[in-house]
Amino acid sequence: MTTKPTTFNRVSTAIVRGVMAGLAFSAAAGPAAAQDVTRPTSTFEAGPAGVGNGAYKAAEYSGLPSKGGFAIGHFDWRGGGLFDSDSALRWRMTGVDLGLDTRGIYAEVGVQGRYRLSVGYNGVRRNRSDSFQMPFAGAGTNRITLPGSWQVPTVAGSAAANNVTNVISARGLTPSVATAPYIDTQTTSPTLGGLLTPTSAQMSRVLGAANADLALFQNVNLSTIRNRYDLDFGYNFSPTLGLDVNIRPEHREGAKPMGVVSRATGGDISATIPDLIDTNTTQLSSNLNFHNKKAFFQAGYYGSFFRNAVPFMSFQNWAIGPSGPGTLNTMSSTPNSNFNQVNLSGGYNKSRTTRLTLNASYGRNTQNDAFLIDESTPVVPVNSLNGLVINTAFNARFSTKPAKRLTASAAYKYDYRDNRTDVHVFQFMDANQPLAANASFAAGPNNPLGPVLATNAGANRHINTKRNIGLAELEYAVTPGQWLKGGYDFQQVDRHCPGSWITCANADTTWENTGRAEWRMRLGQTTARVGYAYSTRRASNYNENAFLALVPYAGVTPAGVTGGETYASYLQANNLTGWGPSLGFFPSPTGNAAVFFPGNSETHLNVYAWENRIAELPGLRRFDVADRDRHKVRSGLDWAASDRVSIAADLDYSGDDFLHSRYGIQDARTLAGTADLTLSFEAVTFNAFYTYEDLHSHSAGNTFTVNSNGTNVNGATGLSGNTVCNGFVTLQERNNNAKLDPCLDWFADRRDLVHSAGVNLTKQIGELELLGSIVVSRATSKNNATGGNYGNNVLIGPGATPTNVAAFYIPATPFPSVYTDTDDLIFSGTYRLRTGQALRVQYSYQRMNSDDWGYEGLQIGEGAIVNVLPTNEQPFKYRSHAFGLGYVFSF
Amino acid sequence: MSKNQTLAGRGAAAVLASVILLTAVTTVVLARSSGAAPAQQATTPQGNLVQAALDKDNVCTECHDPSSPKHTLTIYQTRHGVKGDATAPSCQSCHGDSTVHIKDTKKPTDVVFSEKSPNLSAAEARNTACLTCHDAKARTNWPGSQHESRGVACNSCHNIHAPDQKVLSKTTQAEVCFTCHKTQRAQVHRISAHPLASKSLATAPKMSCSDCHNPHGSTGPHLMAKASVNDTCFACHAEKRGPFLWEHAPVSEDCSLCHTPHGSANAPLLKVRQPVLCQDCHSGDHANQVGSGANLTTGKVTTINGTQQPGARAPRQQLGARACISCHPLVHGSNHPAGAKFSR
Repeated sequence: MTTKPTTFNRVSTAIVRGVMAGLAFSAAAGPAAAQDVTRPTSTFEAGPAGVGNGAYKAAEYSGLPSKGGFAIGHFDWRGGGLFDSDSALRWRMTGVDLGLDTRGIYAEVGVQGRYRLSVGYNGVRRNRSDSFQMPFAGAGTNRITLPGSWQVPTVAGSAAANNVTNVISARGLTPSVATAPYIDTQTTSPTLGGLLTPTSAQMSRVLGAANADLALFQNVNLSTIRNRYDLDFGYNFSPTLGLDVNIRPEHREGAKPMGVVSRATGGDISATIPDLIDTNTTQLSSNLNFHNKKAFFQAGYYGSFFRNAVPFMSFQNWAIGPSGPGTLNTMSSTPNSNFNQVNLSGGYNKSRTTRLTLNASYGRNTQNDAFLIDESTPVVPVNSLNGLVINTAFNARFSTKPAKRLTASAAYKYDYRDNRTDVHVFQFMDANQPLAANASFAAGPNNPLGPVLATNAGANRHINTKRNIGLAELEYAVTPGQWLKGGYDFQQVDRHCPGSWITCANADTTWENTGRAEWRMRLGQTTARVGYAYSTRRASNYNENAFLALVPYAGVTPAGVTGGETYASYLQANNLTGWGPSLGFFPSPTGNAAVFFPGNSETHLNVYAWENRIAELPGLRRFDVADRDRHKVRSGLDWAASDRVSIAADLDYSGDDFLHSRYGIQDARTLAGTADLTLSFEAVTFNAFYTYEDLHSHSAGNTFTVNSNGTNVNGATGLSGNTVCNGFVTLQERNNNAKLDPCLDWFADRRDLVHSAGVNLTKQIGELELLGSIVVSRATSKNNATGGNYGNNVLIGPGATPTNVAAFYIPATPFPSVYTDTDDLIFSGTYRLRTGQALRVQYSYQRMNSDDWGYEGLQIGEGAIVNVLPTNEQPFKYRSHAFGLGYVFSF
Repeated sequence: MSKNQTLAGRGAAAVLASVILLTAVTTVVLARSSGAAPAQQATTPQGNLVQAALDKDNVCTECHDPSSPKHTLTIYQTRHGVKGDATAPSCQSCHGDSTVHIKDTKKPTDVVFSEKSPNLSAAEARNTACLTCHDAKARTNWPGSQHESRGVACNSCHNIHAPDQKVLSKTTQAEVCFTCHKTQRAQVHRISAHPLASKSLATAPKMSCSDCHNPHGSTGPHLMAKASVNDTCFACHAEKRGPFLWEHAPVSEDCSLCHTPHGSANAPLLKVRQPVLCQDCHSGDHANQVGSGANLTTGKVTTINGTQQPGARAPRQQLGARACISCHPLVHGSNHPAGAKFSR
């Protein structure tokens, strides 16, 4: 994608050129460079530079071109009175990276002690991908459409009723895959389970679509750029009273990838589209400050106003095509919002060592954008959210020194996010799936949505969080160079859901107690410290049915239920979760159990009026509120062996144990350490470091299914492969005990190992100053799993003998490791020509070699996923070189 | 997006750019007209004040003259050296009266800031020198803060006599912080990282540590610049603030439940890659499946009886590609009435 210069770019480029021209003129007309160390030095650097064999990712934030030349341009121009002038007026202008669209310019003027005014601009570019491809038209707009020539891709395949058909699949874009022999799954076919060769008609359809569609894929570069402006003003009415005002508008534009889901025959399908970004955010802050030797006071205002010029993103369903019914889907965009906050803070210094500080704030966060309402949202009770969140906070901190060797401090913090937005019941299509009738909640007085059937009814809910935190700390100087510190922290977090028909918090309250101890010392130029902290977090009764807050019909008695019981009241009365009883199949349930948990399975989706099964595993504890013990150790040593040699090392450890989480995160460990060596000689400084980081965690889950009484697959009843997990022997036993099968438990082992090393060198050789740095990083992510799942044997036909294998147990296997190697080298040599002038040669080299199996599913090819439209994005692999020659002028 | 809105935004940008230009020109004119003032005029009241301040400094500058190898006098290039400002300090404001040192220059000053000096003053004494003037605004919460309680002194980060303090420049600030925060120094070189490091020539880092942290103390955790992690993140990511019709509970509670801020091996700045990150909280329906290398074309393939139809030989939708966010992209919140599952 070619980036056209925007109006802003043209304007800012003109400004930059003008300023630089002015600088050059001014510098030429000014006096010779001063030798006096008291005179501020201004510098100006300009010159040619170029990138050879660059890369989009290498320039992720730098804005360097992928290839070709650009201009080096930096300046730092200072002026005003000298130190001994009776004028306190000073001004300064700086510019960095002026030859790139990530440039920054800044100007400041002020009379010190009286006022200060500054303005600035910064461009922040973010390159995301230059390998993204899509067949859609409309990149750069909010309407993404399929070209008229798009044909729905298919693979040759078989169905229960017909063994010669074409099945919608994104793998159809790869003809070798789509026209390969396939397994006969027609239930009445005499060759069921055998391999079939596609017919010419099947192949023709596959190839027709593939040929038409592949030609439509085109590259779209995905990047965003922030253009940020700053206006800062400070005025001192007196030495004790001042006002600060800051205004920061920011415009952000570009595109980033966004996955979107649609409905297709057989299930949901996904595509990735360029999400148009066109937003403006203005932040405004103002503070009135008073301070004297005994006290200070500050009254402030902060506002943040977000505006989105993109009201929605619409896209077409690639499994329907450009003109089929229901092809148009719509995504909401981030709504406009306002945040206004007032802050008051003050402090009192009782003495030089005793101080009390108080801070309070009150903020209102509002949002009232009109909802997107279309055929996918049949019941929308209000046209906009009228959202209101009140943020209140209070902090108090007291510190004192009651004895010469003793320091004490205590703090209290209160923080409350109170979302006062009204709760309503909405009905909607999930991923544009047509609404289905729901006999359990037929139209009538028992149905709060009136004549509309209840499928996909959802209630918005908000978890409000209130934190009360207390901290206390004592430090004692054991000797003049040794300190012992102890501390205790307490945190209580209350969560509640105003307006929700049932609580939506997994734990209403969590309490965390932390005890800390630290020893540190300073002996001459050597410092060391070791600290340990132990904390326990406990939750009030964990509520596994909190998800019901989203499901208003769980509070309504469905058809066939007696005694006015609802789903929620039934769960509560029987101490169950949505997962149902941990029991095997029961063929003849009676009473209300027959409605809510037929066969002792989890809740049937048609009953509680929510499209998907929403039951979480009993025993799952969400890690943000789960009971947890945490150990933390931090240690460090800085040893200056001599004036020229210093060695530093640190080692930090953190270990979390989630005590009562049968499922979810079990434990997490982090170990990080660094060794650092610095050598300083008269003309040479050398620093080398190595950092090791190991982040390791375990998680558990279960691939439970629905209890059933199925006895065979085409007559076969045996199971294979599950003796490793002491599984059931026959298919019926397994089906009867789908929620109890030990083979369905799984454990995930996640580990990120990162080695980083770097060298920095500065060397002065006469008039030549050399600077070099290299940082090398080797990251490996390992994801392993134990456990597995079953797959039915599709290779057997009707009439198989009972001893045949009905289902194979497929053990989970480790993922390939994900590697990312990065090398970042920067070198510069500056040669001083004569006073005030120098030449600087620069070179940088960036290398990245990344390999990530996640990209397989994005490719047109063997790795493509049936229901995900590929984008052909590639893992990052590059070697980027950049050269520059700058002329540095100081005056 | 309407074209008018786009043009309006660009128009505003052009106006702001013009303001910058105007201010720049004003700055130059001001500087030319009054800034390049001649040396102090002792005949004016202001000039008398300046002269008095210089005379006070002269106790020190008599010896610490321009030939001093440590370039002590470069402080006159800084704000602290502006004698036209009556609130600017003298040498003795920070170093103490140092009468012993004045009498015998081999003896140290009352307050010694040089970290390499055997006479280095305690951090508390050094900090007191600074906090005498700088105890308000951003330093409000310094007492009891993490840095204060670990013996960090102001001049551990600030080089007061230097005309260009590394810690005050976005280009070089991280270098100063990374002197102690070494793990973070390594993290910013990962595949997913906030732009705190300069990785190529002619380009400055786009963020500084102080964009998110207040090293002088904070009411928030981790020395956050704002009162909470989320408030700090919203300063740049205002689109995540909401409120939304459908909120994702951990998002409104704490961004750092899922994200790690400095750098990660798992884009975008995730603590753990998807889908396992999501499965730590979601175990129902299709979230309950075990993630496995089976069926990856480059993985250790284990399929049914060693054979599987080509059309199905691919990772699950929830596992490959963009994993969960292939279908649930709006995990930070949705305002669509059909967005309860963050799909719209």
